[in-house]
Amino acid sequence: MVGLVVASHGRLAEELVSTAEQIVGKLPAVATCNIEPGTPVEDLRAKMKQAVSRVDAGDGVIILADLFGGTPCKESLMMCQRMNLEVLAGVNLPMLLKANSLRSEQLTLSEMANQLASYGQRNITCASALLREAQQQPRT
Amino acid sequence: MISLVRVDNRLIHGQVVEAWLPHLKVSRVVVADDEAASSPLIRAAMALAVQSAIEVQILPLSQVDFAALSKDGVRTLVLLRDVASVPFAYAHGLNLGELNLGNVHFGTGRRQVSPSVFLAEAELRTLQQLAEQGVRVEARAVPSEKPVELSDLSERWAKAG
Repeated sequence: MVGLVVASHGRLAEELVSTAEQIVGKLPAVATCNIEPGTPVEDLRAKMKQAVSRVDAGDGVIILADLFGGTPCKESLMMCQRMNLEVLAGVNLPMLLKANSLRSEQLTLSEMANQLASYGQRNITCASALLREAQQQPRT
Repeated sequence: MISLVRVDNRLIHGQVVEAWLPHLKVSRVVVADDEAASSPLIRAAMALAVQSAIEVQILPLSQVDFAALSKDGVRTLVLLRDVASVPFAYAHGLNLGELNLGNVHFGTGRRQVSPSVFLAEAELRTLQQLAEQGVRVEARAVPSEKPVELSDLSERWAKAG
């Protein structure tokens, strides 16, 4: 099973995982990693390595980082040179839920990462505009 | 064909869309609820939350043809807002093998029997009657959770008094 690491600033990573678990139940092989203000980068680096090795069962790991260009993302990118890792930036709740369910399908690590990136983007919608459209052409 | 009947105060919401629909692999969701059916806004918002490959019907309780849903070959999840609706649906042909209690919110006179289920005495009695008629009753918010069977729910209800 592909491992998942959610990496963020502040408590976002833990909260994302616990929120996802409230919706779909316990997520297997998921770790979190965060950086608080004032934490040395070396500490984060060590934490990230630990998180990755904890969830890596040999099928590789996808890191879901919060912000492209942020420290969690940058540190993940450094690691993916040497390990079987894909890094996604801009993690959101739909992406995390999808990442969990996609693991049961036979995909390569890079296919899975690509699908997740487009899925995450597709799930950012102007929901109120969709609702207005749906009210014009109701499904039910 | 009915895959599952679920009692959930919130009807279609995150747990249903993200956890139960993929788990059950249904092609149809039927919400039997007067309040939801009466609001075009709620109907549109709920239907929108479900991927378009899955048919969504949101109808008043009395207008649902439960017997027909039970007979055709379409795998179906039936959502009801409260326990009180279950006997009505059952009496109107709902083929009820398994009843799942998802979210039944707290209210006056209700006792907690699982993290997300609070039951009034009359509801517990209704559930016990259904069980006598051969329905398996369980409380479980999401598929991966361990189900709590009716015997345990009854016991917890008595202890919570």
